[in-house]
Amino acid sequence: MSDLSTHPARLKIANLVRTGLTVLVLLLVVTGLSMVLGRMGERIALQMAVNVVAVVALAIYCGNTGIVSFGHGAFLALGAYFSGILTMPAALQRSALPDLPGFLAGHELSLWVSLPVVAIAGLAFAVLTGSVIARLVGASATIATLGLLIIVHSVAIGAREITRGSQTFYGVPRVTDLAVMVGAAIVAVIIARTYRESRWGLFARAARDDSDAATALGIDTRRTRFLSWCLSGTLATLAGALYGHMLGAFSPASFYLPLVFAHVVMMIVGGTAAVSGAVVGVIAVTLLQDTVRQFEGGATVFGIALPEVFGLTTIVLGLAILLVIWARPQGLVGGFEWGPTAEARLLKGIRKATEPAPPSASVAPAQLEADGLSKSFAGVKAVANVSFQAPTGRVTGLIGPNGAGKSTLVNLLTRAYQPDDGAARIGDVDLTRVPHHKVAGFGIARSFQNLRLFRGLTAYENVLVAALASGRDRGAAASVTLRELAALDLADVAGERADNLPYGARKRLEIARALAQEPQILLLDEPAAGMNPTETEDLGDRLSEIAAARGIGILLIDHDLRFVNRLCDWIVVMNRGQLIAQGTPDDIRNDPSVIEAYIGRGRAAQTTTKPDEPTTEPKYTMGVVPS
Amino acid sequence: MKLRTLLLASAAAIGVAGAGAAEDYVIGVMSAQSGYLAPYDGPAYAGFQYCIDQMNAAGGLNGTTPVKLIVRDTRSDIAEGVKVVQEMIDEGAKFVVSSADADPTIAAAQITAADGIPTMTFAGTAPVLTLVGEHVFGSYPADNQQAAVLAGYARDQGFEKVWLVKSPDSAYTLGGPEYFGEAFTSLGGAVVGESSYSLNQPDFSAIVTTIQNAGDAPDLIVTWAWEPDFPALIRALRGAGVETQVMGGDVLDTPTVRGLGDVVAGTVHSSGGFPDEGSAYADFIEAFKAETGTTPDNNYYVNGCDIAHMIEQAVAAAGSTDPAAVSAAMAGIEGGKGIMSDFTFAGTDRMPLREVVIARITADGEKEFVLREAADPAILPQP
Repeated sequence: MSDLSTHPARLKIANLVRTGLTVLVLLLVVTGLSMVLGRMGERIALQMAVNVVAVVALAIYCGNTGIVSFGHGAFLALGAYFSGILTMPAALQRSALPDLPGFLAGHELSLWVSLPVVAIAGLAFAVLTGSVIARLVGASATIATLGLLIIVHSVAIGAREITRGSQTFYGVPRVTDLAVMVGAAIVAVIIARTYRESRWGLFARAARDDSDAATALGIDTRRTRFLSWCLSGTLATLAGALYGHMLGAFSPASFYLPLVFAHVVMMIVGGTAAVSGAVVGVIAVTLLQDTVRQFEGGATVFGIALPEVFGLTTIVLGLAILLVIWARPQGLVGGFEWGPTAEARLLKGIRKATEPAPPSASVAPAQLEADGLSKSFAGVKAVANVSFQAPTGRVTGLIGPNGAGKSTLVNLLTRAYQPDDGAARIGDVDLTRVPHHKVAGFGIARSFQNLRLFRGLTAYENVLVAALASGRDRGAAASVTLRELAALDLADVAGERADNLPYGARKRLEIARALAQEPQILLLDEPAAGMNPTETEDLGDRLSEIAAARGIGILLIDHDLRFVNRLCDWIVVMNRGQLIAQGTPDDIRNDPSVIEAYIGRGRAAQTTTKPDEPTTEPKYTMGVVPS
Repeated sequence: MKLRTLLLASAAAIGVAGAGAAEDYVIGVMSAQSGYLAPYDGPAYAGFQYCIDQMNAAGGLNGTTPVKLIVRDTRSDIAEGVKVVQEMIDEGAKFVVSSADADPTIAAAQITAADGIPTMTFAGTAPVLTLVGEHVFGSYPADNQQAAVLAGYARDQGFEKVWLVKSPDSAYTLGGPEYFGEAFTSLGGAVVGESSYSLNQPDFSAIVTTIQNAGDAPDLIVTWAWEPDFPALIRALRGAGVETQVMGGDVLDTPTVRGLGDVVAGTVHSSGGFPDEGSAYADFIEAFKAETGTTPDNNYYVNGCDIAHMIEQAVAAAGSTDPAAVSAAMAGIEGGKGIMSDFTFAGTDRMPLREVVIARITADGEKEFVLREAADPAILPQP
């Protein structure tokens, strides 16, 4: 086991090493190709480098948001045409594009002047399109990107004065310098890797893995998609410019579905979730294509003359894709960035420690208040006119049989649902009137009934995201993360991927993530569900300790009444959407309406009419109430 | 001593010259064997290779210059095309035959421009492609030539009002009808309407309805649509009871279009050639069939062979295989002998003037010869 305090330093180095490894692999392949195959190898490497820029750009959006885009052909086309027009020799431009609008004509820029201009245009276009596409998720976003491709393709065909329509656009200066292209590929990899590990990259991946959980942490998920789209689109525009300068001549069809599919295939073969996946995908597909290509025209292998089989490349490529999808659905690299993790033996020697944040001082007093909250689903009243308070310094239990409306109430309090009536207040603020992702900013954090971790992130990163989302800088966030991981006994698994953790640890991780926001009020939706008695006991101890030390208010929902009784100072009971009782645990234990709600009218009557039975520990509290 | 030096030098010179003469003339061939260009590049390459093989068997071009082919599949991918052309030049190609479309040809021509290596498209017909440089050549009758001859025929038949159906998705499907319209108008006809479609558009009923409801009803519909768009269009037209005469470009010269049955009967199209009985073209078909077992059922085979003849005649005229000399000689060819038709580059912008055939599809799924003539320069639309 590694020392937790060195985890942030090790992660930082691991991230640098992973970036370095990806760049190194790219350089090795380029060098190998150039040395073994000479000029032919250089040509292959050149084409590969351009594809690396394009596919890495594509993966910045797809990998970080989990949305496949077919729209990046639009950016490629924009970059290629715009840079082509800006750099074209003026004399050639007058004959090839006689009707070109004056402000575009005759610039004759060098590539180095043209690229920044093209990048700005790409960014502007990305902002414009992203403001629409970032509103969408999943398949609808993918369809929208396809729509963008079709629209831009049609416009490129229609804008004859600028693009020569469907005819070949030629005269673009050919930049065939391998060093320039490989340099561009390396820069693209570094940009993509930096973004991926940055605050906004982490937010985007958190939103990708679980949008609701990310929103509850205060992350504006739409904004994460927008930023990813803008960076991705800008880089894709540059990739298009480089591609155009490699080709020298092209038409709108050059950037349409065949090219887009080729890029998507490379990304999927390598692995969508990682930058190294994009690079490995391009390398693998390129090498496979160019190896097979040599045998197409007929060849002699080990004395056996092979016949001409044109189309072999397409066949082998198709088979390879099928094989990858079958054997490694997450791509060659898999879902995680390629290279050492923070836990790698290689990095054990790193001693630079980050001090865990000191235990937070008692939080400012506050009170979360439900005021007449009501919510119906299709006419069924899930929550009806519920009012109660959960102040800081108190653990408030919220119990009730299955279907009582507890989770709905939590969702109303945290603005995940919009109530039909009533208000959820913290101080003077009515939370039902603030956007969902801003609720966290009012000192409210929550866990979820069903685990909602960010699967693609490590335990450490799950907590770090929460700390960053509450507005801390990277260093402070790391300190808080270390504190919460230690508080919930997660130090040993800090570098593990969240979905590899055992169940109990995952439950604790959700709580650590919520605590990292240093909330005033913490809402825990069945934190002990599914845990064994020892784990439950341990969790109870930890929560008591945290509540006492920090003075936060906890609103605890659980079915395990022993657990609730042990922790809570105040218990609110719901049944069929209504608040039926609230009071101290003792009051609740003796409340006939509560007993009736749990075990029915007949049994309730029996229980309350036997004065000789111990009343402090009624039988129904002995274990978990059957659901 | 001087004599000895002189002798050595002469021997060396002779040796070099001898090596030069024995050296193969390297021709690079871009041939898309899959993708959208495969239906044209495949047959064109087959015909080209067949005739180069025959020439090589007889000692090479003009019996003296053996040819070595470097063939590369581009999969109809322009980036792949750029790469293979560079490879061909690396491997010593002194002539490049490029894919049958403007995009890859122009991309290739920009690369070959540096060394002035003559570059000829298999069957690209967009007249624009030779604008890239003095070393770029077409081989097939260009779209504007085909359109001009077809327009002349249409006017001769008394058609006056044409409706153009075009697709902006490719230079061919857009350019053909537009050239036709231009020539038709200059001959006194009128374009009464235009419709646009997308490549692979499944439904043409909207276009058919527009034509049916046109205030000024056309007596002729002209399109350069290819498969599967043409079959969909003609079925929609005839299905809606529109019996207006339809004319089209050389893409209609395929067995599958002729196999569409009644709906295409009477359709007239332009073409690069027609295998009349006893013609050299008919002989080529028989010989090719006997040699390879494949029946050349379109003009791309024979045009591929004609490219071999064009190169042979240019090399003969140049007296060398030097790229600049071959380019200049090619551009000067007048009345060169081909199998599909004769060709003239002199006085053109290197899209050869060749006779255009007009053919009609018969009710029994055959094609019948209508006429053969060269485009009239007076009405030839400019690219």
